[in-house]
Amino acid sequence: MFMKDRITIDLIDDIKKRISNLVTGYTKGLKGCYYADLRVEIDEGRGALSENGESRECYEDTNLSFGVRVIAGDGIKAPGYFGQVIGMADIGRIERIVKEGIDHAYRRGYSNAVAKLRAKETFGQLGKSLWDTLLAPIEIHQDKVPAVFDLDPREIPLEDLIDITKDVSKEVSSCDKEIRFNQIMASTMMVRELFLSSEGVDIDQSHALTEGLIYVVAQNEEGTQELYDYIGDQRGWEVITQGINVHEKSLCDFSLDLARDAIDLIKAEPLKSTDKEVTIVTDPHYNALLVHEIIGHPMELDRGLKYETAYAGRSWLLHDLDDHHIGEQIASPLVTAYSDPSLHGYGHYKYDDEGTLAKRVIHIDKGIFKGFMNSRQTAALLGVEPNGSFKAIDASFVPLIRMSNTVFAGGDTDPSDIISGVDDGYYLKGHRIPSISESRENFRISAVKVYRIKNGQLDQLFRNGGMTSDSKAYLMNVDAVGNDFKLYPIPNCGKGQPMQTKRLCNGAPTLRSRARLI
Amino acid sequence: MITINKLRRSIREGIGFIKGIGDIIDAEIVASSNANLLTRLNYTSHIPCNGVEEPKSTESYGVGVYAVFKTTDGIKTGFGSEPGDLSLKGIRKSLDKARRNMVYDPAFKSLPHPSNEKSLLRGYHDQRLMEIKDEEIVNLGWRVLEGAIGVFNDTGVSEKIIIGGDLILIQERIAVGSTTGIDAYDETSLIMASVTSMIEGENTKGSGWATGICMDKFYPEEAGAESARSAIATRGGERIDDGEYNVIIGRQPVTDLMNNIIIPSLTLSMIDASSSAFLGKMRKKVSAEDLIIYDSGALPGGLGSKSITCEGLPTGRTDLIENGVIVGFLANHYYSCKILGDDEAKRKLGVDPNDYKEGFVPRNGFRFETGGGRSYRRKVGISPTNVMVDTMDEFTTEDLFQKVGNGVYIGRIWYTYPMNGLGPGDFTSTIIGDSYLIKNGKLSTPIKPNTIRINDNINNLLMNITGITRDKRPTIIWAADEVVHAPEIAMKGVKLSNIVRWN
Repeated sequence: MFMKDRITIDLIDDIKKRISNLVTGYTKGLKGCYYADLRVEIDEGRGALSENGESRECYEDTNLSFGVRVIAGDGIKAPGYFGQVIGMADIGRIERIVKEGIDHAYRRGYSNAVAKLRAKETFGQLGKSLWDTLLAPIEIHQDKVPAVFDLDPREIPLEDLIDITKDVSKEVSSCDKEIRFNQIMASTMMVRELFLSSEGVDIDQSHALTEGLIYVVAQNEEGTQELYDYIGDQRGWEVITQGINVHEKSLCDFSLDLARDAIDLIKAEPLKSTDKEVTIVTDPHYNALLVHEIIGHPMELDRGLKYETAYAGRSWLLHDLDDHHIGEQIASPLVTAYSDPSLHGYGHYKYDDEGTLAKRVIHIDKGIFKGFMNSRQTAALLGVEPNGSFKAIDASFVPLIRMSNTVFAGGDTDPSDIISGVDDGYYLKGHRIPSISESRENFRISAVKVYRIKNGQLDQLFRNGGMTSDSKAYLMNVDAVGNDFKLYPIPNCGKGQPMQTKRLCNGAPTLRSRARLI
Repeated sequence: MITINKLRRSIREGIGFIKGIGDIIDAEIVASSNANLLTRLNYTSHIPCNGVEEPKSTESYGVGVYAVFKTTDGIKTGFGSEPGDLSLKGIRKSLDKARRNMVYDPAFKSLPHPSNEKSLLRGYHDQRLMEIKDEEIVNLGWRVLEGAIGVFNDTGVSEKIIIGGDLILIQERIAVGSTTGIDAYDETSLIMASVTSMIEGENTKGSGWATGICMDKFYPEEAGAESARSAIATRGGERIDDGEYNVIIGRQPVTDLMNNIIIPSLTLSMIDASSSAFLGKMRKKVSAEDLIIYDSGALPGGLGSKSITCEGLPTGRTDLIENGVIVGFLANHYYSCKILGDDEAKRKLGVDPNDYKEGFVPRNGFRFETGGGRSYRRKVGISPTNVMVDTMDEFTTEDLFQKVGNGVYIGRIWYTYPMNGLGPGDFTSTIIGDSYLIKNGKLSTPIKPNTIRINDNINNLLMNITGITRDKRPTIIWAADEVVHAPEIAMKGVKLSNIVRWN
């Protein structure tokens, strides 16, 4: 038995040898067990946080977790799950721990099937929709996917993270006397995920992940401005130190720019709402959040199929299996949108968390709605092919249908021409806070900066403003799409119960449409 | 689940070990064991479904050490943890990590010392909840569905029904010890069901929930039935025009506003960061005369009650707003000390904190895990427990309806966010169900869900309160740590916007 004194991602090799037969062999002996899968995940990470020019905290640690799904039953099948965080002391007994986890998931799945069969009878007419759980078939892959990085996160001294966050925080603090508070965070990690299924899928994927965060508060007698933003990528430490990120800035330059924005904004006038729609040009950063909220989320099939009714909401794009907008025009012919895990970014992966080979999912093709992100179960319900969109934030959590890299596709118009074509309108630069209605049919999203456009030129700067519109109306009114496509990291997309806060990417070019200012 | 005695033994051994290490000034050790069992529901009459979609759990146990080191560069602090190992080896590993992770933090003053206040709760968990079996958690989920389906069947509603939500059971055990004399432990269990029912063809939505700390007094089918009854009652919804309305906000919207806007603004770490709608407003009036808000961590029978904080200090009552005036903030030991020595404190609070020390007592230092549980892996943050929204008035719901006369009853809102950060107080939210027009002091026509957005400012709302009911109900919302004991509140002049005319 291979034993070390601390957890590293290399342990996956040993763990796999010892537990793979539990998935492919042991579960086959369980009465009525139709399917089982097991996920194991290890991350090795380090990070530091500084506040107002002083170190606040740092960490260098590892996490190991596993999760099990079993679909079981006699006559009718149902799912059951189990997840656990474990440590180095558990490695010597991991076969027993994982077997106990499989047993829990199996008992939950089997008893769920028994109760479902009973409910089919006692619910009367309303029992007819209770189905025999199915997973749409996938190709069976065995694959190993290496991480991509120049500077290995595991080899970066913790002191480097402490020093850089402290130095940047000091710079931000001294940038202006009206900067009242700032936090600078940097983290870098290596993640390795193992997926095994009773169907023979065997996927071993690794990725590096590095992130920088600035949170800054400026205050004067006029009020406060709180801004935050991120840089990050599925790469090594070069993201922070060499400006290898979408902003093409080091953490220091990126942070100072945001601090200066906060200072500019406390001196600006607040934006006044409009009763009527006006022409609005939005930059790629703003549109990254826009595509997240009005395209990405309603394109998740679990929402379409009502799984999220009590939590993150439904989708206006699907009422039921026979009443939906697939094939209909929902946007201007200039609008194309898709999710693509193969793009490099926070949302990159080759296989999802049920072993499906991921592929580009076209959501809107020249204004026509084409389809959803899905999982094996939801694909079976809709009668379509799984597209590899089922992801969890950690192996102990149950996966959900999530965005990968979800984007508005780039167009062919120079963004300066888009602005210069506006006689009287507004330019929204940088995203801030979103609020979206339940089925994603209406939104209000605030911007970092709002500029008046007069005679094709940027004019006065306003603070505390954004736009609101019905989603379809906004999409149908898009009349210009820029050729300046960019892909931004979004580190805090919340969904699920318990809440899973996931990292992903959203991207877009400059767009022009109509909406109300607010 | 690991027994409380094992957790306490780990702490005792760890403290004994650490006391003998020369460069450690003080240390705090936490050992905990948690399980979050969750049965997620998804029933749809018009789409094939599982009914009980996800019977699942996440579990974890381990130790964490927060240590204060004497170094040649001055005093430094660090935190480290180790999962799955309560032995001395696990403590050593955690300490090694704490040593590797130590930094100089000038705001750090000390670890907590034992408090003069006493823990008011002991032995309040339910052993049945602590030992629940896999089959039972599945069946509890089906009982929620049975409650809802029973109402739909009894009323003959059978088209396009959705029932979603969950049943959650949280099992927590924690022991905390320190070289400063803290020696405390706690064992908590709670169970709750939160359900949403829809008749989707008619775009009506109803909510229901049940909460408890004891299995014998927990009736999940009632949560399902309540949500179904509410969905049926809101059929035939209508739109309303843009404008300012006199409104009554129900218990869920009160809870949502507390969770997303008001309680974060009453948290000392947010004041420290100059990010609060109440910046510089301590001892100032921020709401109508009769509003009272306090956190009650030791409330007997309270769903959010704990005997001790995760710093090992007794929980208790922390007054936040008294008769409309801010009198205190939720605090942990770190921020409680920091604010008293902060040169900027007067700007942040509006008063010298040393004149009002009773407003910063550390009764809310918790290490809550995502989805529940008290985590050995996390440093102490600040979280509410049972948030009590109260009044000295004696209004009933009927009194509020009479006060409003004609207006809107808002029963459920969603996606409430401070659009320009917490500071300015601007927020927005969508009305998604359980809502009606009020005409002549009575509930009238239901409002069509997802057609109205609230666009207003929290300071305006609080100053425009016209009445609060005495009657409160423990209320929970998605992804929140706290339970809000929520009344219904009447307000004047709330800005509502009509949205989505095409779907």
